[in-house]
Amino acid sequence: MRPIWVLAKNTYKEVIRDRILYALLLFAVLLMGLSLALGQLSFAEQSRISANFGLSAIHLCAVVLAIFVGSNLVYKEIEKKTILTILARPISRTQFILGKSLGLALLITTMILGLALILCLVFWGLEVAVDARFFVVLLGLLGESLILLGFTLVFSMITKPLLVVCFSVGIFLIGHWQGSLAYFASRDTHGNLKPVSWFVRYFLPDLERLNWKDLILYDQPIDFPAKLGSLSYALVWFVLCICLSALIFKRRDVG
Amino acid sequence: MNLLEVSDLKKSYARGILGRKVQVLKGLSFSVPSGTVTGFLGANGAGKTTTMRCILGLDFPDSGKIQLFGEPLSIASKRRLGFLPERPYFYEHLTGHEFLEFYAQLTSSWKKSVLNDRIQELLRRVDLEFAKDRLLRNFSKGMLQKIGLAQALIHDPELVILDEPMSGLDPDGRLALADIILQIAKKGTAVFFTSHQLYDTERLCERLVVMKEGRSIYEGSTEALLDQSGQQFEISFLNRGVKETRRAQTQDQSQSEIKKLIQDGASILEVRRQRATLEEVFVQMALRGGKA
Repeated sequence: MRPIWVLAKNTYKEVIRDRILYALLLFAVLLMGLSLALGQLSFAEQSRISANFGLSAIHLCAVVLAIFVGSNLVYKEIEKKTILTILARPISRTQFILGKSLGLALLITTMILGLALILCLVFWGLEVAVDARFFVVLLGLLGESLILLGFTLVFSMITKPLLVVCFSVGIFLIGHWQGSLAYFASRDTHGNLKPVSWFVRYFLPDLERLNWKDLILYDQPIDFPAKLGSLSYALVWFVLCICLSALIFKRRDVG
Repeated sequence: MNLLEVSDLKKSYARGILGRKVQVLKGLSFSVPSGTVTGFLGANGAGKTTTMRCILGLDFPDSGKIQLFGEPLSIASKRRLGFLPERPYFYEHLTGHEFLEFYAQLTSSWKKSVLNDRIQELLRRVDLEFAKDRLLRNFSKGMLQKIGLAQALIHDPELVILDEPMSGLDPDGRLALADIILQIAKKGTAVFFTSHQLYDTERLCERLVVMKEGRSIYEGSTEALLDQSGQQFEISFLNRGVKETRRAQTQDQSQSEIKKLIQDGASILEVRRQRATLEEVFVQMALRGGKA
């Protein structure tokens, strides 16, 4: 466990000391600020607009971090050859993958919590109460980011970062449009869309299962068993992707 | 006892769009005994770096056997190994101290105080105490090479593998690095390194492995290689008041040359035995195709 933790800490430190992260944070904070300005246009809906913008900003930042940083997570190590001295140490390749992904997962969690804190301040300013639903929504966002991080890692084992980003964005879009795809497939009289819809349904993650923003936006109650099921669903996808990445990486020349 | 044994190692890579196989290692065999400094020589593209990567498990050989400390490469054997790659690339976001701490923690579970003492000692040894809080992105090439060597030594390994440690260093830096290699060798750590700086290699290595086109063409002591590769005798003499020199290839030839010169009335000033340098021998063996 120790090497995994040491590698995770180093990955965390590496991204924390990168300027890109701060650019991303600034973007999120600006988006939240914009929500306040836009909210003033509507007297009754200000809190809802702020919540929507704020949660979308957190969502976007977490996804961008998972996909863009994730696509370079291992590739950069190989390209910059920093991996040579790491794998020459008493650690296995599986531990390497676990350490790197744990580091980035921790960073995504920190970023979600940091931005959530800022959003809490916005809510406090608008005199909107923050309850358990807010944290449940954040858990959903984290689950989705982990799935995307997992897929990004798998893609990064077989291709270059630009294609990895394209593929991962594809997973993000398909993941959110699975419902629409199923609807169109059911309406398709030629049946051409049915096999596509079937494949997407059984072999790709349904990210809408983790989109719980409506809990806050439409004041809905929490269905704990369903949410727990969806979180387990996210965790299973993440673990599957990490295992697959480790399996591919195990027999790969890195020199 | 051999710390490292490589037998009949073969490795090929797929190159180009069509994935044409290029065989880099074609049945390489050699060993590194404990407590020795062994130089690993070969022209560019001979397969030295590939060999090191296979030894360290970074690349997977097609066939052949690699035994480290008497067993195949494992987590346990890696614990007894230190490695500095060619043109070291390290995490630029870390300071000198953090960098060594990171590598030490990957290898051993020292207490914080012991670890800090060890880091201090190594920074002192490589003359980088002043840079312990400086980010690696602000290190010069020579400083990176030195901190790279420090990370290879942080866990007190029994065998250190260095790929081109002298590359890109100024004469001062090379001298300092050579001194560190001698120091660690004196402590009993075996060193196995590649270098194109043949003067340093000749000075540092008691053993040599020379490879050409993926195979070993010499393995043995540096002295034996240089002796085998011929010597010559330079005779300086005064001939009617003018200083001249003649060369002879063997001792017998030099004796008969001296006799002849004396008969001709010349005064012998000096007879010097000259041996080929490693550079001359290497060029002969590895580049022009001669045999040891």
